[in-house]
This record gives sequence, structure tokens and C-alpha cells, in this order.
Amino acid sequence: MANRYVPVYIAQSQTPHGAFMPVFQLSRRGVLLGAIGLVWSGAALAGEITVSAASSLTNAFKEVAQRFEQQHPGSKVLLNFGASGALLQQMAKGAPVDVLASADQETMDQAAQQGLILTSGRRNFVRNTLVVVVPAGSTRSMRGLQDLTQPAVQKVAIGNPASVPVGRYSQRALEAAKLWPAVQAKAIHTQNVRQSLDYVARGEVEAGFVYHTDALVQKGKVHVAFTVPLAGVIHYPIAPAASSSHIVEARQFVNYVLSPAGQAILAQHGFLKP
Amino acid sequence: MQLNLAFRKSLHTGQTRFDLDVALHSSASRIVIRGPSGAGKSMMLKAIAGLVKPDSGHIEVGGETYYTDHARRPIHRPPQARRVGYLFQDYALFPHLNVRQNIGFGLSKRWFNPRKHAADHRVDHWLNALGMSDLAHHYPRELSGGQQQRTALARALVMQPDLLLLDEPFAALDPDLRHVLRDELDRFQQRLGFSMILITHDDEDMRALGGENYLMRAGRLHKMEALT
Amino acid sequence: MLDVHDPAWTALFLSLKVAGWSTAITTVCGVAVGLLLAKGRFPGRDLLDTVLTLPMVLPPTVLGYYLLVLLGRQGPVGQWLQQQWGLNLIFTWQGAVIAASVVAFPLVFKPARAAFESIDDQLEMAAQVLGVSRIAIFWRVTLPLAWRGILAGILLGFARALGEFGATLMVAGSIPGKTQTLSVAVYEAVQAGDDASAMKLVLVISVTCCVILLLATYLAPGRKPAHP
Repeated sequence: MANRYVPVYIAQSQTPHGAFMPVFQLSRRGVLLGAIGLVWSGAALAGEITVSAASSLTNAFKEVAQRFEQQHPGSKVLLNFGASGALLQQMAKGAPVDVLASADQETMDQAAQQGLILTSGRRNFVRNTLVVVVPAGSTRSMRGLQDLTQPAVQKVAIGNPASVPVGRYSQRALEAAKLWPAVQAKAIHTQNVRQSLDYVARGEVEAGFVYHTDALVQKGKVHVAFTVPLAGVIHYPIAPAASSSHIVEARQFVNYVLSPAGQAILAQHGFLKP
Repeated sequence: MQLNLAFRKSLHTGQTRFDLDVALHSSASRIVIRGPSGAGKSMMLKAIAGLVKPDSGHIEVGGETYYTDHARRPIHRPPQARRVGYLFQDYALFPHLNVRQNIGFGLSKRWFNPRKHAADHRVDHWLNALGMSDLAHHYPRELSGGQQQRTALARALVMQPDLLLLDEPFAALDPDLRHVLRDELDRFQQRLGFSMILITHDDEDMRALGGENYLMRAGRLHKMEALT
Repeated sequence: MLDVHDPAWTALFLSLKVAGWSTAITTVCGVAVGLLLAKGRFPGRDLLDTVLTLPMVLPPTVLGYYLLVLLGRQGPVGQWLQQQWGLNLIFTWQGAVIAASVVAFPLVFKPARAAFESIDDQLEMAAQVLGVSRIAIFWRVTLPLAWRGILAGILLGFARALGEFGATLMVAGSIPGKTQTLSVAVYEAVQAGDDASAMKLVLVISVTCCVILLLATYLAPGRKPAHP
């Protein structure tokens, strides 16, 4: 567990003549010890928050963080991107996170179950769509999920369903179409959605499951073959962390994401309104 | 045996440069060379053995050309093709082989060493001649200086070389031992008839073994009068 | 405790397979390169040594990236392999072998070079004068004297290949049964919050490494036994 609160002892000392040192000097030393203690404990300084966000939010959240810092001078946003499952594990093992933004409800549900987030502050902030992308120069006919079973399609990049939301969505969609066993045999499990995107961009795989917003990031190298039909809607939730030591700033960040300004940035990156 | 040597070799180490300019024409069966350290004596022996290639000149031993810089037909015979034996100052015995295997090393050209207990009458002959039969299975690190020297000598002589090159062979031994080994070398040479070039610092070596004596200074050989 | 069909066994066997092949490759290449750098005198020799040492200091993910760019479908080597033999190394266990070999290579060739350089030049010179060919000298003198140092490097290389993660993940991906080595399996289990699996895998890999280390200690010659 990260050590947030370091006990700070203010030392009392006696002058050679036995009298106590003046309070003013004691406070100075105490402040010095306290500051050293804080730095050593690794806690973020005042006004600094750590935001763990799903990989698909990389480009959008970088801009959101920048604008947030401009709006709230003196604040600093440290961004941490990864697959939602991995982010959850980090928090569960005690990483000092202030805000969590995941790509599916399941991860956030688990976080709530483990008491890692403030459920009162949980909100859905964007929608996304699941698509299948192919390398830019690909001429293969790819119009629906069943085209993935063609022998010409040898490898398909899918996020690892155990820890990556986009992988779970993909599996669900393929199971609904009764194609999961056939496609799973060709699946290359990736650690996060951006890795899937990269493999498609490099042409290492014939197709990959990513979010529509990710396809926009590598516009030149991939193009969207088709949108994947899903039973439910993909809603991204965001919530402040329960053990955050900057709860005020954390809530401010969440509010900013939900505000018209924040939503405008997300829309620019292809995300849909919640 | 006739020796015709006339060659040059330049050595550059960092800033300094050393030039070897050797000329030796002799039919003596024993040649002893003295000289200060760094004068190039070892380099000369290595060139004759083929371990070092001269820059120019020629080396003829017993009528055979080992090296020549002739424009159209240059020759540089590798050491393996020269009928030469070499005794290194530190003996250069193979530490991972026992005495028997060391002595018999050159007798087999194969890719694996002779076996530890392999019997070979030529090796046995030399073990007897040097009185080292009971040391046959010992390793070099278990031998005294004199025993190592004898092993190195046997190893070279079992190959029946025409010319034996010795680089300060007795330097690390005490005077009594030196005396004994000198005598042995003398006897072997008389019996087997090989020629010998010996480098030494010891006047006594020169006196006891000397045929033709030379002084090497700054890379050049100067013939000396015989010591009485 | 673990049943035969447990994915941990698959991951272990895959790790051993990849590490085994990788060690075979690095042994041959490492010894050859070590010999070349120890004996060779050519311009740029030290620069070559430095370049070949790079995989030891570059982060594995950087190496993985370079390999991906080189061996991928759009890379020069990848395209050539595709055209000539219809081969693709990405996402295959052979690709994992390449990644592990690149990463482990410096750990093998550097000790090999040091071992070769530690051999006294005079020994090889003596062997040449005794008439043994250079190849035979390598097998009879050089290798027997250098093998301990070389073996130390090989074991280091094996351990490194067994634990390779970063470059392997990028080049070979994580395909259970095909390229999901133990290290990658641990990583994925942790990411998925599957602590039980993670613990099992970590235990398997720890026991395996202990066994290898004990073997290495036992095999290393010249060690005094623990009990008199």
C-alpha cells in the first residue's frame, strides 16, 4: 500500500542552558521535516492528480488534461493509460490514483465492488462504437463478421478478453453471431486496444477489433471495414477514487470532463455523447 | 647445416618504432646470440620459426626456402611446414595435458589430443632418456622448473627437427640445474645432429655451448670472437 | 498440485523450448564472434564489439520495436522472408526465439571473447611449431582452455532467454500454447487480476531457475564439495 501519510515528528530540543528553544524555530524545523517527509513518501504535491484512463482515451484525454490545467492554474494532471483491466489491478494493489476512466461498465463495477471508487461520483461520460479495421491497402472484401472466417484472413487482433474491454465486446459480438470459435483460432490477443491498432497499421494482421475513435487516430494506415453490431451500447464511465488525497481536484476533473468544454474535446476525437 | 638469413621487420608500438635487420650466413651447428633485452632476439627466432612474417628479405634453412619476398614467387611457409623446433622461455607447456600428452602433442595431427594413457614408443623413448618415466601422468603445474624444461625439450625433439630454436631456456633455473641441462642438450645435439640457435644472457652458456657467438644490438647482429 | 493439462505446464515447456533454441543459436554465434574478436586484428574491431553489445544496454521494448520493424510484413527482412519462403516470424515461437537470441547474445559472446583472450599466446604458437593445423589447435588447445568461461556465458544467456519478456511480447505476441511464455503468462494473469494463476506460474518459474542454477553450480568444474 502506498504510504500516503508519513508521521512527522516535530523535535523538541533543549539549549545547553536547559531552556526550550523558541516555538518559531521549532516550527521551521518541523515544516522542513514535514516537507522532506512528504517528498520521500512519494505523494503528489498539492494540486496534482493522477488520472488512470483506458488506452482508447489517450489522444482525447491528453487534450482534456491540457485544457483543464489552463482552466485551473496551479493544478497538474498526471495521465496513466492502459487497458482498463490493468488499470484496475494497479488501483487494487494500492497505486495512488485519483480518477478512473474505463472503457466498460464491468471494470468500473469491479472497482466499485472493491471499494476503490466513490460511487456517488460515478458518471457515464461518452459513448463509443466497435469497428473492425483493416490495413489501408487491403483489397479484401470485408463487410461483416462472417468475412473474418475467410481462409485469406489468417490473423485477427483482438484485445485479451480477460483484461481488455474491447476484447470483451468483440467476444460478445462474435458469440452472438456464433462465430467466436472460428475466429478465436485466428485471434492474436493484445494487451490493449492501441496494440491491436498498431498491428493492423503495420499489416501484421489482416483485421483488428478497435473502437471507432481509435481508427481515426491512424487514419492513413487503417480504414474501417464495418461497424460491429452489439447488443448493448458502449458507455465509458468515470469516477473519483475513494482513497484519493485530492478529492476536491478529482471531482473538479470529473466535472470538467462532463462539462460542455470537455465534451466538445471528446466529440472532436470521435466520441459520442453519453 | 647451412643457414642463410637476411631479413627486416619493423615493429610499431604506440610512438616507438623498432627495426630488426638481421643478416646471418653460417654453416655452424651451434649459434649463440646474446644481447640486451628488447634488442629483437625473440623476434628473430619467431621469424625463423614462421610465427612472424618479415617485411622483406629471405630465410633459408638447410637449403630450403622458408621465406622470400621475391616479387613473382613470394614464399612464407607456415610454422607447421617448417622443420623447426622451439623452446619458449616459459616452456609453454599445455596446462590441460599431462607430460605424456604434451610430449606426444605434435605426433598426432588429428583434431583431438592423444589419450592420457596412450602408449607411443617415441614418447616412451624420450621419457626414459630424460629420466621422467614416473612423471608421465603428471600435469605441468605439478612439475619443477627443471622437469618442465625437460618436458618442453622432449616435446620439441620428438618431432625430429632440423633446427632447434631456444629462447633463454635456462633463465629460470638455478646454476647447478643449468649445468646439468646444458650437458643434456649438448649430448642430445651431438647424437641427433640438429642445428641450434640459442638466445641467452648467460656467459656460461656461451662458453659451454657456443659454436658461433653473436651479439644483437638494436636489431642488428654482430659476430663475436669465440670466448675461451 | 498441478495437473498435466494445466496451462502453466504449456507455458513452461514453451519457455524451455524457446530458451533452448535461443541458447543453441547464441552458443554457436557467440563462440564464433568471441573468437573473431579475440583473435582478429582488423580496423573497426572494437566498434564491432560495441555494436554487438548494444542489445545488452538497450531496453528490451526498444529491441522489440526494432525487431518488429525489421521482421514485420513491411520490414526489409520480413518482406524478403515472405517472398523467398512464404515465412512470417511475427506471432510465432520462432520469432520469440529470435527476440530471445538477440537479447541474450552479448551475454554469451563477451565471456567467450574474454576466455579466448585469457589464453597465453605462446601455447598456440608452440602448437603451431609442433606442426598442428590451426583448426586442430582450436579443438585441442584453445577450446579446452576456454570452455569454462564460455559455459558461464552460455548459462547466463539461457537464463536471460528464459526470462525474456519485453522484446518477446512485441515480436511474438501472447498466444497461449504458441508464444505465451511463462513471463508473458505471469504478466497477463496479473493484468486480469488472476492472482491464483500468477502465483502458480511464478512458483513454476522460480523452481525451474533454481534447478538450472544448481545444475550450473554442480557442473562448474573445480568446485570444492559442500561436505568433506
